[in-house]
Amino acid sequence: MDLQINTAPPTVMHVDLNSCFATVEQQAHPHLRGKPVVVAAYVTDKGCILSPSIEAKKLGIKTGMRVYEAKQIYPNVIVCDTDPDMVRDVNSKLMKIFRDYSPNVIPKSIDEAIIDFAPVFSNTIDLMKIGREIKDRVKKEIGEWILCNVGISTNRFLAKLASSLHKPDGLDLIDHKNLRQIYSSIKLTDLHGINIRFEYRLNSNGIKNPIDFLQAGEKFLKKNVFKSISGYYWYLRLRGWEIDDYRSERKSFGQEYSLKEKTSDPEKLKRIIMKLCEKMGRRLRQSGQFASGVHLGILYHDHAFWHKGKKLKKSISSTKNLFEEIIKLFYLQPQAQIVSKISVSCFSLNQNDNQQLELIDMGGEKVNKISHALDKINNRFGEFTVVPAIMIDMKDTVIDRIAFGK
Amino acid sequence: MREKLFEKISVIFSYNAEKNTAIPYKIRWQLRDYFIKKLAYHHKAYEGRELLHIFHVTDGNLDFRIRFNTEDLNWILEEVSDGSPD
Repeated sequence: MDLQINTAPPTVMHVDLNSCFATVEQQAHPHLRGKPVVVAAYVTDKGCILSPSIEAKKLGIKTGMRVYEAKQIYPNVIVCDTDPDMVRDVNSKLMKIFRDYSPNVIPKSIDEAIIDFAPVFSNTIDLMKIGREIKDRVKKEIGEWILCNVGISTNRFLAKLASSLHKPDGLDLIDHKNLRQIYSSIKLTDLHGINIRFEYRLNSNGIKNPIDFLQAGEKFLKKNVFKSISGYYWYLRLRGWEIDDYRSERKSFGQEYSLKEKTSDPEKLKRIIMKLCEKMGRRLRQSGQFASGVHLGILYHDHAFWHKGKKLKKSISSTKNLFEEIIKLFYLQPQAQIVSKISVSCFSLNQNDNQQLELIDMGGEKVNKISHALDKINNRFGEFTVVPAIMIDMKDTVIDRIAFGK
Repeated sequence: MREKLFEKISVIFSYNAEKNTAIPYKIRWQLRDYFIKKLAYHHKAYEGRELLHIFHVTDGNLDFRIRFNTEDLNWILEEVSDGSPD
């Protein structure tokens, strides 16, 4: 028997900020308001655009473009770098507002979150009214230039879709009454999670639009289209049943850096790796965990990618140990080439409570204690107050960034 | 045009208990006075354990980013911009 569309009252709200980084810049700098502004990883011509303002988007400037491409579209575009502290502050003020309405707020990224009203829902709650109130409060309590989209539905997938229907500053609700009408007005790639490749796969199975997708049977999606359990998940998701409310556990810590000046010089690259290890190690130690695996990934200037990971026999957490293990991987590269991006990560996280004592103590415990002492100094006086000698004069390299994603 | 700076400045700060507002009223930078018309954004930041208050303000002609260090009670002008492209 086919599963019906979920007819329960909507209890999931998705809120996201419009052009978050750029809008926040415009909020803080009144002279930027109403102008095409982009926030880029680097303000140089080859810098990657992280966030175009609504005005820049209207001109055709998109996230992921290079600064010089934006300048080709609009030569007077204003290019800014990111202000992580300010964006994090906006995020924490947003979350504070959301938590006034439900204890179950799930941050999805720096500029979007889900508010699950299920724990507090009753028939007297009007989510459209709450949505309008949240939009007003964002303007009053955070900044008058900050706009957000609000989407309401029975599951996270449809709530996100609802939030994307009328950008910027939209407020929409999708339920069983208007679901088909909404699906008939959008393209397959408007569905979150369906990119051009998935669209091609769906098309080749006779699914040309979201209505076809909705009407496709569970077995057909599972066996013919997705050839996996994903087909079943899509079958539920499209009908408004919740399937995305799992909580993932952190399994690794990582840092990556796109080099401002590409180089093949191992000494310069080792300095960058050390700083990445220091940042990664700080986060690892703050979590109170150890890692027994490390990984190094290198993207070369010709877009070739090389990576290597290793499981360790011991658990480590100090920057020194992480650096030593990752440098061993660094020297396993088949040949030295010009590097454009480096990423390091550590995995197999554990509490190190079953650590086997070493027969001859090589100072491992001392290294950990020194690491913790250095962390305390840096916590007290600011990041990178005390650093390994190899990191001298690296204050402006591998600067603070906000990661995309959760 | 945006210029990054790190210059000590003089600030007159106003707190209004009735309206519950706290805003820089006037800043003196390089012997010139700038009267603040609007607080665009305020947030806090930490350098180690030092709490900093960051104020983004404008006098109508220029946007300023100024910071108040709660540890040493210094005001620093960190950035000046006029909204034109670099």
